[in-house]
Amino acid sequence: MYHGLRKAGTRSKVEEASPGAAALAAPPMIAIEGVSQTFKTAGRKEHLAISNVDLEIADGAFVSILGPSGCGKSTLLYIVGGFVMPTAGSVKVRGRAVTGPGPDRGPVFQEFALFPWKTVLGNVTYGLRQQGVPRFEAEERGHKLLAMVGLKGFEAFYPKELSGGMKQRVAIARTLAYNPSVLLMDEPFGALDAHTRTRLQNDLLEIWERDRKTVLFVTHAVDEAVYLSDKVIVMSRSPGRIKQVIDIDLPRPRRRAELLLDPHYQKYVVDIERLIEDAPEDAVHT
Amino acid sequence: MSAVADDGSGRRGLSAGAFAPLLACLGLLVAWQIGAMLLATDSIPTALDALRAVPDVLLSRDGLINILDSIRRMVIGLAAAVVVSIPLGLVMGRARAVAAFFNPILMVIYPVPKAALMPIIMLWLGVGDLSKTLVIFLAVTLPIIYHSFEGAKAVEEKMIWSGAAMGMSRAQIMARIVLPAALPEILAGCRTGLVLALITMVTSEMIARKSGAGNILFNALDMGQYDTVFAMIIVVGALGIVLDAAFDRLRRFLVAWSETRQDIPLSFS
Repeated sequence: MYHGLRKAGTRSKVEEASPGAAALAAPPMIAIEGVSQTFKTAGRKEHLAISNVDLEIADGAFVSILGPSGCGKSTLLYIVGGFVMPTAGSVKVRGRAVTGPGPDRGPVFQEFALFPWKTVLGNVTYGLRQQGVPRFEAEERGHKLLAMVGLKGFEAFYPKELSGGMKQRVAIARTLAYNPSVLLMDEPFGALDAHTRTRLQNDLLEIWERDRKTVLFVTHAVDEAVYLSDKVIVMSRSPGRIKQVIDIDLPRPRRRAELLLDPHYQKYVVDIERLIEDAPEDAVHT
Repeated sequence: MSAVADDGSGRRGLSAGAFAPLLACLGLLVAWQIGAMLLATDSIPTALDALRAVPDVLLSRDGLINILDSIRRMVIGLAAAVVVSIPLGLVMGRARAVAAFFNPILMVIYPVPKAALMPIIMLWLGVGDLSKTLVIFLAVTLPIIYHSFEGAKAVEEKMIWSGAAMGMSRAQIMARIVLPAALPEILAGCRTGLVLALITMVTSEMIARKSGAGNILFNALDMGQYDTVFAMIIVVGALGIVLDAAFDRLRRFLVAWSETRQDIPLSFS
């Protein structure tokens, strides 16, 4: 069951897709091809933030991008979202090139980015109303989603009246409301305390196990990445590139209490932590 | 325990907030009264004399028509400025090229006292409503543009991304995300604009006398009717307080979502 760590690029594409001719013909949910990103720094020097990243993500997969701060993992996520245009390379979602943001890719940010002038329900229905869904229908769906993220009874609250964890629950419900094919989560639990973070991780897993949306999840917490993901992409810094892709072969549904005692889980965490620790020596690694 | 005390700080703050300005006005009137009595010159009537003249100004047909003329020009100038300035400021805040184009122009215009343009504008447009309304418009435009610009610039990038991911177009993002997010700042600009409109209203009428509150004031001054002069100053001041308080009501209603829980007493800035 446990295959250990594998070097990036050693997997063949056939392995990537599920067996069967039809599945082989279908494009992956997300295909990142040769993506590089350079920024101009204050001193007008060009800084290579991401260098030549290739990545394919299958439909329904939960994939985490893990790396030290400044490795470009969030930027990579923004590029998939269409919020940032790459300097080189391209991103395809369901075989179609990304040219900008769209409702097929729903972001969830560490900063929540809720609309403070809208109530909790207003936030969740904003996207649906935008797409022309009638108020009654949108609100019905909003109520359902809020119940799902554990915020029943908070519909009329304003964001400023909520705790950080509740705000992030609203943000998740707001994004799920317009039913994106891909969830793009940018360190969504990074600003939360340990207890709240654990509860949101559990709830996110439960929601994900129900509808199996493709999730691209950026984090710097190794245990979080291993707990949640099917696959962990470890990135190295300056320039940001994929160092290794690790399949997390742990059974689902995963329950945190059992997992913490599982030696396989522990080995993944320790191995990945080691991998990140020797990042500086690996700067010349290609 | 009284209901007021039980209600906590919010409620108590409100009553203190209503009481303090009244006390300040009263104190000012008392100081005026004593000062005028001590000086005893014709050009400074006592507070009581001036207050006694207020009904004469307000209740005379002529006085009322003049004041309503002033208010009408002020409202039109202010409304036109709001309609033009908010979209311009918001677009400047979100599009660097637009800001780069307008900023130097606005920087040149900003320090010019708009009422000083009155004689030139009168040459083109006469001494009537149009030139006065235009001067009010010009005076109010810049602070509203500036605040809208700052408000739009400060909108969190990720809030805009969230809207874009919902499928909003650029125009929809401006109307449905940037505008509401910047509203507290925009309304701060409108409040400054309101006071400037009042000041410019009186000044424009001083320069182009034909009708209005300023017209009455300066005609009375020429004729040495100092009671009327000071009564008009009281009327204009009271108008400022009432308009500012009414606007603040509206502002609080519109941006209650952004307010922290503390009541700021009436301010006259």
